[in-house]
Amino acid sequence: MKIEYKVYFSNAVLIGLIVLLGSFALHDLNQILTKFRFTVIADELNASFLAMRLAEKNFILYRDPAVLVGIEGMIDDAADSLDEVKDDITRAVGLENYSRLRAYMDDYALMIGEARRHASVGSQPSEEMQKRLRHAGQRLKEFSESMTSLEQRRVGAIIAKSKSVLLYSVWGIVLFALLFTHLIVANIGLSLRKVVELTQSISKGHYEKIEEKPTSDEMGAVISAINVMASELQRREQEILQSKRLASIGILVAGVAHELNNPLNNISMIAQTYAEVYDHLGRGQRIDFMHRVEEQTERLRVIIKNLLDFSRPKERHRVKNDVNRVVHKTVDLVQNMLDVSNIQLRLKLADNLPAVYIDEHQVQQVLVNISTNAIQAMGDSGELLIASRYLADSGDAEIEIRDTGKGIEPKFLDHIFDPFFTTKEDGGTGLGLWVSYGIIKNHGGNLRVESSVGDGTAFFITLPSYMKIKECSDDETQHHDN
Amino acid sequence: MTKHSIMIIDDEKIVGDMARLSLEQDGYEVETFLDGRSALDRLEVRPFDVVVTDLKMKGVDGLQVLRTVKKRHPKTVVIMITAFANLDVAIEALRDDVHDFFPKPVKLKELKASIERALGKDGGH
Repeated sequence: MKIEYKVYFSNAVLIGLIVLLGSFALHDLNQILTKFRFTVIADELNASFLAMRLAEKNFILYRDPAVLVGIEGMIDDAADSLDEVKDDITRAVGLENYSRLRAYMDDYALMIGEARRHASVGSQPSEEMQKRLRHAGQRLKEFSESMTSLEQRRVGAIIAKSKSVLLYSVWGIVLFALLFTHLIVANIGLSLRKVVELTQSISKGHYEKIEEKPTSDEMGAVISAINVMASELQRREQEILQSKRLASIGILVAGVAHELNNPLNNISMIAQTYAEVYDHLGRGQRIDFMHRVEEQTERLRVIIKNLLDFSRPKERHRVKNDVNRVVHKTVDLVQNMLDVSNIQLRLKLADNLPAVYIDEHQVQQVLVNISTNAIQAMGDSGELLIASRYLADSGDAEIEIRDTGKGIEPKFLDHIFDPFFTTKEDGGTGLGLWVSYGIIKNHGGNLRVESSVGDGTAFFITLPSYMKIKECSDDETQHHDN
Repeated sequence: MTKHSIMIIDDEKIVGDMARLSLEQDGYEVETFLDGRSALDRLEVRPFDVVVTDLKMKGVDGLQVLRTVKKRHPKTVVIMITAFANLDVAIEALRDDVHDFFPKPVKLKELKASIERALGKDGGH
């Protein structure tokens, strides 16, 4: 369900509950009002019945028939009032009680009428009649009073009930609101956390998607949109990479032209000169000419081999391997260079490294390349640091090769991985770092550089762990299966 | 007749070696240098009739050599050779009064013909 609908639904339920509560309260208030009206009427009636009873006592004491006429008048008034408020009273105490009250009143009126007739002919009411008269009056008054007190008790009960209904309903509404809000917020929070994780991983360049089926709510729409964005970004990155590749081919071609032209020119000049001065050359000189041609062709061969290494990487033989082992093998290879240049080696190898999945020969080639550059940058003395460490954030292994050499000027830093770029005085091939970069990228790793002029240069090689690569390839297999 | 002097500057040693062999054969006096700096130092000491320089070199490059030579010895002829012909650089060199511009691989005969034209010879010895 959409969050929008959930919020509507929850609000509708809350409004429904409040309306229900309100109607209960209204109903109770109406009841109280009815009962209140009744008690007002009943109080008047009770007062009137009390007056009747007093007049009745006066009649019995003083035998004045005029008193009875007064009582009849009062009864008529009470009857009129009762008729007037019949609806109110029946609502409050029911038709049965109303009829009983009316019957008791009629009965009393009958008694009074009888007594008045007796009195009008001058005869005294008998003891029996007096008793019946008193009894009817008593009954009327007591019934009316009992009705009144009963209704007062009922009003009390209704108020008490209303109070508890209100109290529980309010708690119920509060709890419902809290529970529902919590459910919606928890749902949104969960989705938002996923979105945050995803965007963080995208910003690191991992274009993975949230694979679970998106929910049908707004968060699902957001996640779908981010998934689309991730694939779009990935596609564009591919395009950028492609255009970078084309650009680097452009640089490469220019470099190739220049690099190949020099030895070609040399061979050409040797050949032309050889032809010109042939007659003046001794046998040894002629052989020396040919050696020089051979040297230049060897130079061409190395350039072409390096080019091929990068453009058509050799079949990789990747195996589970230990980074420190490869470092030690590299050290064996460069130790002689270090000794000759009087450079101290400092190894700082971590023992908690994850296993990596690499072509040992290729990675070693990278380490030798970078170490050789470092040694050449330091000249006659310095310190070469080779460190390995575990990167807890990514789970990758990192190798750092740091020299205390002259450093690389900032303007060159962007170009050091370009083909044929070199800052070496004696003119390196400019292919070493370019090839190294390609190898590390092919391993799913990264090669970056930090340098400050005068302080030295550090290269950082990260290699993904064996576990990570296995997981990725397992995932891929699963996707293919799907 | 005094020998014409030629200076060859190229960081490829073979270029100097071969040009010297070939040009000395033709009766020129040749000195070779592997970088622009040492060539300019030599020019402080003595002038040359012709300077043949590579364009792309570490440190002082061919264009700097051209400008310095033209400032110091306006009569000296400068011929530029380059492994990677670049139109912008060629135009710049022409503005600085370069005599000729050769892409590598250099044809020695063409280079010699250019030197001869520069020295006012009508070709052939």
